[in-house]
Formats: sequence, structure tokens, C-alpha cells
Amino acid sequence: MRCVSLFRSVLALTAAVGLCATSAQAQDDDPIQIGAIYLMSGSAATYGKFAQQGIDMAIEEINGAGGVLGRPLAVHLEDSQGKAATAIQAARKLVYQDESDVLMGLDSSGVAQGLVPVLPELSKPFIITHAATPDVTGKLCNKYTYRISVNVHQNMSGAAEIAAKTGAKRWTTIGPDYAFGHQSWEFFGKYLKEKMPNAELMSEVAFPRFGAEDFTPFIDSVMASKPDGVLISVWGGDMVNFVRQANNRGFFKQGFEVLFTVGAATEVLTALGDQLPEGVWVGTRYWYGAHDNELNNKFVSGYKKRYGAPPSYNAEGAYMAVYAYKAAIEKAGKVDGDAIAQALSGLTIPAPTGQLTFRKGDNQALIGPTWGKTGAMNDADKIRSLTEMVTFDGQKITPPVDAACKL
Amino acid sequence: MGSLSLALLNSLDIGLLLFIIAVGLSIVFGVLSVINFAHGALYMLGAYLAFSCINGLGMPFWLTVLVAPLAVAALAVLIDRLMMRFVYQREPADSLLLTFALLLILNESVRLTWGTGIHVVEPPALLQGTITLFGGIQYPLYNLFVIAIGGVALVGLWLLFNKTRVGKIMRAAALDRDMAQVLCINTRLVVTGVFAFGAWLAALGGVVAAPMRSIDPGMGDKIIIESFIIVVIGGLGSFPGALLGALILGLIHGLGGRYLPQINLMLPFVGMAIVLLLKPHGLMGRRASL
Repeated sequence: MRCVSLFRSVLALTAAVGLCATSAQAQDDDPIQIGAIYLMSGSAATYGKFAQQGIDMAIEEINGAGGVLGRPLAVHLEDSQGKAATAIQAARKLVYQDESDVLMGLDSSGVAQGLVPVLPELSKPFIITHAATPDVTGKLCNKYTYRISVNVHQNMSGAAEIAAKTGAKRWTTIGPDYAFGHQSWEFFGKYLKEKMPNAELMSEVAFPRFGAEDFTPFIDSVMASKPDGVLISVWGGDMVNFVRQANNRGFFKQGFEVLFTVGAATEVLTALGDQLPEGVWVGTRYWYGAHDNELNNKFVSGYKKRYGAPPSYNAEGAYMAVYAYKAAIEKAGKVDGDAIAQALSGLTIPAPTGQLTFRKGDNQALIGPTWGKTGAMNDADKIRSLTEMVTFDGQKITPPVDAACKL
Repeated sequence: MGSLSLALLNSLDIGLLLFIIAVGLSIVFGVLSVINFAHGALYMLGAYLAFSCINGLGMPFWLTVLVAPLAVAALAVLIDRLMMRFVYQREPADSLLLTFALLLILNESVRLTWGTGIHVVEPPALLQGTITLFGGIQYPLYNLFVIAIGGVALVGLWLLFNKTRVGKIMRAAALDRDMAQVLCINTRLVVTGVFAFGAWLAALGGVVAAPMRSIDPGMGDKIIIESFIIVVIGGLGSFPGALLGALILGLIHGLGGRYLPQINLMLPFVGMAIVLLLKPHGLMGRRASL
């Protein structure tokens, strides 16, 4: 009895090993799987949608030109639902069930803070294309996590320069009550003090909860404290609500400078139209009208033709992440998680924003934000145009590597 | 003084809008003993229908206020006849699961139909702009309209429950459904009617809120949490409780946001915890005290 069952199990084992071997060989023409995790539902679902559009366009272009190492690319998209636990589950599903070779994604800083520590367990590289918390390239950094988009340090450094130029002294903030809102204010204050030592950071600040529908009480409170300038980091649907309610309260006619940290998002500008007043400063990771080079022109016109609207920063970030993976896989010469992760380090690739380099010390891309003042309506694209545009040089604007990151 | 009046006025318009939405949830629980998780999704559907009617079909706002909530109420009748009627007599967990499933279905349907974009509806021309009130404070005309509509709804509902036969039937069915049936009250009709009425109120809230808030696929989820807080504070199934809860939450948002902006995130939950510690059934609660 025992001999027979032993024989059977050895037979089964051999068969299984044999199957594995054949399936490994069959992978040469199989697509390289990209796993993507974005906000696909809820209030900010449109950000995930635009990221998906960027990914689809990049994949179609690359596959049309012969793929990567002779293999086509394919993508699996998962919804993070804005929760770290859901994103972690999605990441595990993408790697273990869908056999993703590389990962990308993340709109929410809160989700990034939860997911990044789990990534070494999955041993696949992850390029963050939107979430801006500095922690993922700071105290939470690891060799699998890269960020291709601007982080809070870079954006606030640019914001502080703009703020210092306006000359306004007393600053306050209205931001969502989570990592992004608080860290934006913290670092804006730090960089502003460096550039303008006599700036005053008021203690009366407002942090409405993320997804608050009524901003009027906070608008009134900030107006009553009479600042010279206000840093506003609400985004998405919150920003649409905020601007409309602020218009009702006469917020933009009070004479203080207004800086929207991520205001130049086409998702929001399209919804607001001419309700966003002229003369406010808006920042973004990428503005489609700010870069006059061949790559950007081709990208923008291709995107407009395909989707009927100018590309948002989320679309461009996702598009570039796919191209970054193409370059990294070709450099590594094989589709292996650790090899690709290593190939990304220090990698330089051409991008619509110019040359893009992943810094070796913390895996953060050295790119700068674009800031501009809202101007007249751009009737062709049906959103406000930007005037006085400043695109900060990534090499100069990025602060040194966070000491907490030891890569 | 001006800032306090402003904050109070703000609390009133937030509170009364929340009342219109939350009272439907409370009534459905009071009469049917069902906690309708999909209530927020019905509110969202009302807002999206308002967007389609006003921006898409060019319907005037006043017509939309009549048409859109009725359309949602008609959908609710279908939901009741095809799905809800199987779970009314079962244990509460079954109806919770069903309404939660309904919530997910409605959320996804809205996203598939209208896309993920953020939409904006303008107030009707008559209600645009601001008006200068006592003390020199500027207030948006539309927000005053919301206060007015909330007041009308309040008075209308009170009259319905206390002065009409329909209202008496609803209260009777809430107190004792079997007895009501013995007395030849058509409880089937009452049940469908109440469920549809709750949905109508939610959608009315949605249409009224549409010009004040951005319309996005997450608005249903945001409002259901607010509604739950209100009915917990006020007492599930209690009409005056819903009013009290809504006004209290309106005050927490309006005054808390204005004077305590640093801790505004936790205030509603602190309020809820205090009420639950002192009065576990809510301030006016005990079910079926319509």
C-alpha cells in the first residue's frame, strides 16, 4: 500500500514539475503583464480613468512598434477604492493571480503609505505615478518603489518660490485632513521660510475632511483671519465644490494671493470652466501647454485625437511609467522583478517634460512642477489657459535625499 | 456678530438639506424595519438625473424638481416589488445584505451611465447670486431657497403624519403590522408606498443639493454616513428625532468648521458617541414613534 501511494505521489510530482517547465517555455510570446492600481470608483474616479487612458495609449504605441524584447504588453487594472487595505489585496492579486511582472499606480498618498512597506514581499518593481507623499521616497523607501511624478517636496518648493515672489507675508492654508494636506502645508512653510525669512505662517488654518461637501464654514473662517496669501491643497471634487462655494462668498475678491497646489488638473478645470477665476496660481505635475518639444507635441496631439481632450497630469504620468518600464526591461535584458527594479535605478529616459532621471539615492524622478496663473478661457480645449508659466528644473528644485532613506 | 449669524445660517441650510435626506431613511426604518443602505445611492441618482435633465435636456429647474424624484420613486417601486418584498419578514441581516448589494449595483450603474467625471449644475437663473441680509452679511440666494424648501418639507411631513389618513395608516403599520392587516389596511400597498416615499425624499434631496455640490460618483457614499449619524443621534424611526439630529449635525459642521477648524473631522463622531453613551436609542428614539 505504502509503496504504491509513494509511487503515485512521485509520479504526480514529476508531472507537476514537467507542466511547470513547459509553461515557463511557453512564456516567450506571452504578454508582459503590467499591474495597475488606481482610484477607479468614488469621487476621484476620473483620475483613475485618465491614468488608464494614458496606459492604454502607451501600450498601443509600444505594441505597434514591436513590443518589449519581442513581447507585447498587457495591463490589468485594479481599484484601490482609496483604501490601503484594498490596495494591498489588489497588489497581491495582481502578482500572485494575474502574474504581473511589474506594477504601477496610486492616486492617494494615504494608500501609498500603506502599500509601499508591503512591496518587498512581492518582489516586483512599483512606479508611483500620482501619490505625492514624500514618505515613499523617504522613511518608507525601498529598492522596489519608484516615483515618476512630482512629490510634495518638489511641488511645495516651487510653490514657495512663487509665493515669495508675490511678496505676501501672512500665509494660511485650507487642505484636506490627511497626509497630503498636512504635509503640503508643513513643507510649504519650511521652504517659504528659507526663501522669505520674515514670512508669517498663521496658526489659524483649516483642514476640512477629505470629501467634505460644505467648505463655506472654512472659507468664512479663513477670510475672517485676513491673510495675505492662502495655500489651498484640496483636489478633485473637493476643489470643484470649494471654488464654487468660494465664489459665492466672494473669496477671490478679497485681495489675497491664492495658490492651488494641484489646481491645474484637467479633471477639475473641465468641470469648473469659467467658474475658476482669473489671476489665481495653480500648480501641476504636468501641464500639456508648457513644453514645446517634439515628444510632448506628439503625445498631446495623439492623446487629443484619441480621447477628445487634452491630457491630464495623471494620464501623462501613467503613460511615462509604461515607457520607463520598457526602457528598464530592455536595459535589464530579461523580465525579472529584481532585475527590472535594479535597472530603473538612475535610469534616464526622454519624456514630454524633458529628460527624466530616477535619482539613485531615493528613486524619485528629478522633475519639477509647472506653476501658472489662470488666464483667459481657452475655447478650443474649454478650460482656462495658463499665463506666466514657470516650469521648475527638476535637478535644481528637488531637495537632497531624505536622510531617513537608506537605499 | 456677523460671523456668528453667518455660521448659524450656514448650519441651518446644511442641517435642513440633511434633514430632507435623512428623514426618508428614518421613515423607512420606522415603518418597514429596514435600514436602507442604498438610500445614499438614491440621493446620488436624484442628483445625476437632475444633471441630465437640466444640462442634457435643457429642462427648467422647477420641472426637474417635480420629475426627477418621481422617476427615482418609480425605480424604488420596482426594487420593492422585485427584491425587497422577499426580505421584509426575514431577519435584519438579510435586508442589510440586500440593500448593501443594491448600493453597489446603483453605484456602478451610475458610473457606467454617466462616467467618472465631475459634473456641475447651475442654480436656476432666479436663484443665482447673493443677497445682502441683516447685519450686512452676503448670503447665496440658492442656500436661502434650500432653507425654504427644508421648511416646507418639514411642515408638509408633519401635516402628513398627524393630519392625514395616509399618515395615520403609516404610523399604524409601523406600530403593529399584523394588527393593521387585520383591520383591512392594505399593508402591501403601504409597504411599497413607504419605500417609494423614502426614495422620493432622498432623490428630492439630491435634486436640491445638485446646484450646491459637485456631482461625482462618490457622493452617495458621503451622504449615507451623514444620514446614519443623524438617525443615530436623533433616534432611528423618529421623525422629530431626524429633525433634531439633522440640525445638530448642521450646527457641528457650520459652527465647528467656522470656529474649530482644527478638530472638525472628529466632531460629528464625538457628538454621536456622547449621545449614544447618554441615550443609547438616540435623543428621541424608540422605534416607530412617528
